[in-house]
This record gives sequence, C-alpha cells and structure tokens, in this order.
Amino acid sequence: MRLGTVIGRVTLSRTVPALAGARWLVVSPFTRDHFQSDANARPGLSKDPSLVVYDALGGGVGQTIGFVEGREAAQPFDEPTPVDAINAALVDAIFYSPVR
Amino acid sequence: MFLAKVEGSVVATKKDASMNGRKLLLLRPQLVDDKDPSRFRPGVNTLVAVDSVGAGIGEMVLFCQGSSARLAPSLKDAPVDAVIIGIVDVVDVLGKPIYNAKQ
Amino acid sequence: MLLARVEGNLTSTRKHPSLDRWRLLICQPISADGAPEGTPVVAIDAHGAAMHQRVIVSTDGAAARKAVGDEKSPVRMMIVGIVDEVRPEGKA
Repeated sequence: MRLGTVIGRVTLSRTVPALAGARWLVVSPFTRDHFQSDANARPGLSKDPSLVVYDALGGGVGQTIGFVEGREAAQPFDEPTPVDAINAALVDAIFYSPVR
Repeated sequence: MFLAKVEGSVVATKKDASMNGRKLLLLRPQLVDDKDPSRFRPGVNTLVAVDSVGAGIGEMVLFCQGSSARLAPSLKDAPVDAVIIGIVDVVDVLGKPIYNAKQ
Repeated sequence: MLLARVEGNLTSTRKHPSLDRWRLLICQPISADGAPEGTPVVAIDAHGAAMHQRVIVSTDGAAARKAVGDEKSPVRMMIVGIVDEVRPEGKA
C-alpha cells in the first residue's frame, strides 16, 4: 500500500460492464517529503505521476488514502474486473518519526 | 490506472491469434501537472493498449496495466498488459473541471 | 522482499474489512547501511515490529491474503520478519 492525497474525480461516459457505476479518484502519491511534513502544511501535488484509483470507500478531495497497486487491486471483485489500483483505506491519522 | 490521450491506432496483421479482431490504440499518458494542477502534462512514454470500449483518436481514456489487463472482457488468455477500460467524460481536479469531453 | 525500517503507523476507520484489527506500519525501504531508498510503504504486521526496528517486507499478495484469511483482500505488503542484524559485504 502507498499513501496519497485525493486531488480529484474522474467520470466516464463509457466503460466495461464490470465497472459500470464505479467511482474513480485522481490521486497524487506521497513522496518522502510528504511524510516528513505536518498534516496541515503538507506540500501539495508531488512530482510522482498522478494516478486514478477505483474507490468503494467514499474518498473525497483533500483526504489521505492508502491505495494498492497491481493485480491485488482486482482481488475484491466477484467477477473478473480490470482494475490495477484501488483505495484500500481512508487514513484518519499518521504517526511518523523517521530516523535522522 | 492512468489517464491517456489516444494518439493513433496500430495495425498488425500478423499477431497472436488470441488478439484477432482487437483494436490496438497508441496512448500517451496524461498526468496532472504538479506545477499547475489546472492542466495535464504528457507522460514521457507512448504505449500500445487493447481497446475494450470503442475509443477513438483524440479521446481521453482510462487504461489498466499489468496482469489486471487480462481481466477485461475476452482477454483472459491474450498476451496483453494494457487495456482501455473507459472513455473519460470529465476530470475534476481540486474542484475545477480540467477536462470535459463535450468541450 | 525489501529491507525496511519501521518509521511510523497509521489509523484508518474506513478500510477494506480484511484489514480490520491489523497494525498498519509505515516502512521506509533502506540500504544495507540504513540509508533511505525511495518512498515509504504501508505494510500489515503480525510480528509486533517496534518503532525504528529493521524488518523484511514482502510484496507477495498471495501470502498476505493467506495471512489475513480473505481471498478477496487487496492486501499486498506484509512484514514477514524482524531483522536481528545485517552483515555487510565480506563479513558473512
């Protein structure tokens, strides 16, 4: 799981049947700098590529989420569903204390 | 998944039999510009993806990569690692639409 | 598998049900001499790893699903061991 900030939403006009009605979030992944700064002064978008994750937890813009990438992201579905990134956790609080 | 612009189509007559009849499109990933989130910046790579939704050149699409790509309809046994799973209508970033298919 | 150092944890009320009751630790991948390499990842922990301990993180989803006992879990990263010592090259 990686962490990221929800920065937006995507709506589709057409999709595969398994994904009809799905909710999609645009996410900017955390870099090491994001972990080190405090929650209120977190730098905005990171230089890492923004990605789109499938969301069934109701994530919204500004929230921090934990997302899983790869084949594992398709594991929660009953039917074969082409998903390679999924919101797995809405993060309430982060406790971070790196070794200096 | 990543967003991408369809930049062209690819025709390959001689190809893996499991891909017969499948349209191949050329994609350029579009990433939200970290310096100006009201626009996209193009990704550095071009890639080929199988179409599963009837996308056309110039459209913004959503695509899925890796072994998850084979979970798209009738691609179970196809040697593919990228598939288009949606045609984008609107992308909203930080409360503002930065892409709208109707404009 | 990755060599990593535990640098934090996180709390989440709303998450995939398979992650309920699991500790979610922030693990910073490191080199043999402890220098950070890349961005921290979040892994589930069944070994009771402590803050700043060095751990081995597996990215094998199948093993992690088995650990949480849910084939439909999206979980992938899991702490599979706590490191006692890392022997630098030539001192094995």
